[in-house]
Amino acid sequence: MTEVLEAAGIVFSYQTLFLITVGTLAGIIIGALPGLTVNMGIALLMPLTFTFEGMAGVLMLLGVYCGAIYGGSITAILINTPGTPASAATCLDGYPMALKGQAGRALGLSTASSMFGGLFSTVALIIVAPQLAKVATGLSAPEYFALAVFGISIITSVSSHSLIKGLIGGCIGLGIATVGLDPMTAGMRFTFDSLYLMGGISFVPVLVGLFAFSQALFSIEENWGENLHGVSRSVSVKITRLLPTWIDLRRVLPTYLRSSVIGTIIGAIPGTGGDIASYVSYTEAKRWSKHPEEFGHGSIEGVSAPEAGANAVAGGAMVPLMTLGIPGDGATAIMMGAFMVQGLSLGPLLFTEHPVEVNTIFIGLFVANVLMGILGFAGIRAFTRIMVVPRKVLVPIILVLCAIGSYSVNHTMTDVFVMSIAGFLGYIMIKLGFSMSPIVIGIILGPMAETNLRRALTMSDGDFSIFLTRPICLTFLIIAAVTLFLPIVGPKFSAWRRAKAASAGQGAPEPSSDSRSA
Amino acid sequence: MKKVLGVVIGGLLAFNSFGATAQQITYPNKNITVIIPKNPGGGTDTSTRLTIEYAKSYLPSGVIFVPENKPAGNGVTGLIEGARAKPDGTTLVMTTVELAMFPHQGKSPVTYQNFTPLYAPIADPCAIVVKADSPYKTLADLVAAAKEKPGTIQVANSGTGAIYHLAALNMEKQLGIKLKHIPFSEGVGPAIAALAGGHVDAVITTPGAAKSQIDAGALRALGVMDEKRFALLPDVPTFKEALGKEVDVRMRAWAALAGPADLPANVKDQLVAAFKAVAANPAYQDAMKKQGIMPSTLVGDDVAKMLKDDHDLYKELIAAAK
Repeated sequence: MTEVLEAAGIVFSYQTLFLITVGTLAGIIIGALPGLTVNMGIALLMPLTFTFEGMAGVLMLLGVYCGAIYGGSITAILINTPGTPASAATCLDGYPMALKGQAGRALGLSTASSMFGGLFSTVALIIVAPQLAKVATGLSAPEYFALAVFGISIITSVSSHSLIKGLIGGCIGLGIATVGLDPMTAGMRFTFDSLYLMGGISFVPVLVGLFAFSQALFSIEENWGENLHGVSRSVSVKITRLLPTWIDLRRVLPTYLRSSVIGTIIGAIPGTGGDIASYVSYTEAKRWSKHPEEFGHGSIEGVSAPEAGANAVAGGAMVPLMTLGIPGDGATAIMMGAFMVQGLSLGPLLFTEHPVEVNTIFIGLFVANVLMGILGFAGIRAFTRIMVVPRKVLVPIILVLCAIGSYSVNHTMTDVFVMSIAGFLGYIMIKLGFSMSPIVIGIILGPMAETNLRRALTMSDGDFSIFLTRPICLTFLIIAAVTLFLPIVGPKFSAWRRAKAASAGQGAPEPSSDSRSA
Repeated sequence: MKKVLGVVIGGLLAFNSFGATAQQITYPNKNITVIIPKNPGGGTDTSTRLTIEYAKSYLPSGVIFVPENKPAGNGVTGLIEGARAKPDGTTLVMTTVELAMFPHQGKSPVTYQNFTPLYAPIADPCAIVVKADSPYKTLADLVAAAKEKPGTIQVANSGTGAIYHLAALNMEKQLGIKLKHIPFSEGVGPAIAALAGGHVDAVITTPGAAKSQIDAGALRALGVMDEKRFALLPDVPTFKEALGKEVDVRMRAWAALAGPADLPANVKDQLVAAFKAVAANPAYQDAMKKQGIMPSTLVGDDVAKMLKDDHDLYKELIAAAK
């Protein structure tokens, strides 16, 4: 108990609170800017933490981490441009809501769900961290493979317009992911003797191109069209209230809970992060929703699910970091350095050797999530002003940010070219009725599926039964098969049943109907 | 915490005030770019930034070190840029052990001969680590089991052709055994997670990555691949100690700060002297140890010898692996 009090004393000192606030605010801004990602924000502010004494610097980074995941949703909702990969799924329903003049409602819900997800996972971290770590390390290559296949099967539920185009998009994503060194044999694939391609096509530039650059091209087109015809589209940005209504909250609460559990678990699994968690949360929200038909057209559950899931990853990712000394995602890998500078060797001994610091992290993470919510709600009015910025001002800013963000991933101009090419291709594909999410899902999960399939088969000496004899693995594979085939088989099946019921219903009393149709 | 920091700062100040004569770097009239061919936040990045942080006091006023991360193409683009820079000492690059491997795998057009090695902050030995409840209590147990059932013991590494895989190949070659290699190209973290979950039998890694779990008694290091024991794990025997005299498995994961080849002698001497002073600074050693890195004191020609030795070693191992 004294440790908790001591830790609370550290967190609630005005210097520490100030630093967490600064970190969270910086995180929200970095997250909201397209092209600048969570990892970049943490790497950027990390050298600063060396100068602060004790845990304050680490807590600031936690603030950046939470803030940046949330910040990505702001631009995703308002201008259809996800600030971070984890917010790509938020665009699906956030932007349609904004177009309907419900930008404030969408932002309120996403802020509330981000805060809920973050707080939920923090509580999970405090209460069940060791058990969660056991679950996470209990998963081996076959389970990772099944999880990845399940993730890929989500494509069917995020491609609302055309299933076949969604699947084509998924294959394009999987194809992009195969470029570079073979993950198992380290052989070169599609590298054409290019040093750049040897490292694979970088994910962030492609994502920025597909979502942000292509969106900027659309804005240019719209602007041009309006100048030509002299009409301008106006979207209402009037904010009537900041906090979500009680009716909305009651409807999305199950979604909040489900997404938070998904996010926490996915965060706790090393090597998976917010991008996967947000898509899985979105799909599960759609699967269990009473109004699945609203998804893709501005569903309040659709905008809440990815945010709760992505923010719950923060607490989940701290689980393997703190209990095993193994980072759960890219951001926590960078943060690990900051912990070590403070003399904290992360791992099983952390809890017994540094109880005060552990409690400081717990309380700090809690405070960071609350501050994130407060700053978010306080900022909603300001954020929505982005929508009234004239396009001829906004679009150049976005294009510059796209270039900066892509360049800063690897400090190479090649990434900027990759980003622009992806942007133009994305523009053409959206015109042709493709959606971008399946491509992104393919790029994220392709390597995970491939590597773990081959690793599992290496472990079992080529015996495929390894996928059928492990319960968790088999469960995921079955869910994946259902997710993948239900949208294809489902309508056919119900049509067949309707036809059968119809013929059965008509057939008995009126046998003449057969002869008539014949 | 406060006390430690005070000592660190005090030591730093004291060191600055009278250390600023023999190690002073005088040649540069513009900023020195330090290329880091790895992502920010990793071990190579952190140790590079720490090293230049402690070395900056030897620079003339108005000149600073500018770290630049160039991780594209697995870091090869950064190495090439460092090798092709003007040899005037204003561009340095933190080369890593991949420099000794990539040329033999057709992944890098530059070799150690394109660089002037200055200082190696990291030269950690590889270690083989098992789970605490593993039936292999000693290295001899593991080797005996591998001899009995060849190709069944699952040893995780950080990717085919990367250092820990080559270390396992070196073990096979030197000990006449056959292992089952499980590559984790995602990195050593997931490999250790797989070991903690009991999905593989052993992991080859540098001790730093597994130290917290070894200290906690969750994992056990069976042996380190060096001629002497590793300072952070003094109880773990070397391969030679564990298996007998004729065994010589030596694998080091290093990072070496280097300039382009043909660095002028006075530039090289100034830099080597400065980094030698940094390596001897207790505050710097302390900061490195906090990162789980045992700072090495190899400078100048010693580093050059290590680079050449490893280049030849990996040439042999990679040729044998094909």
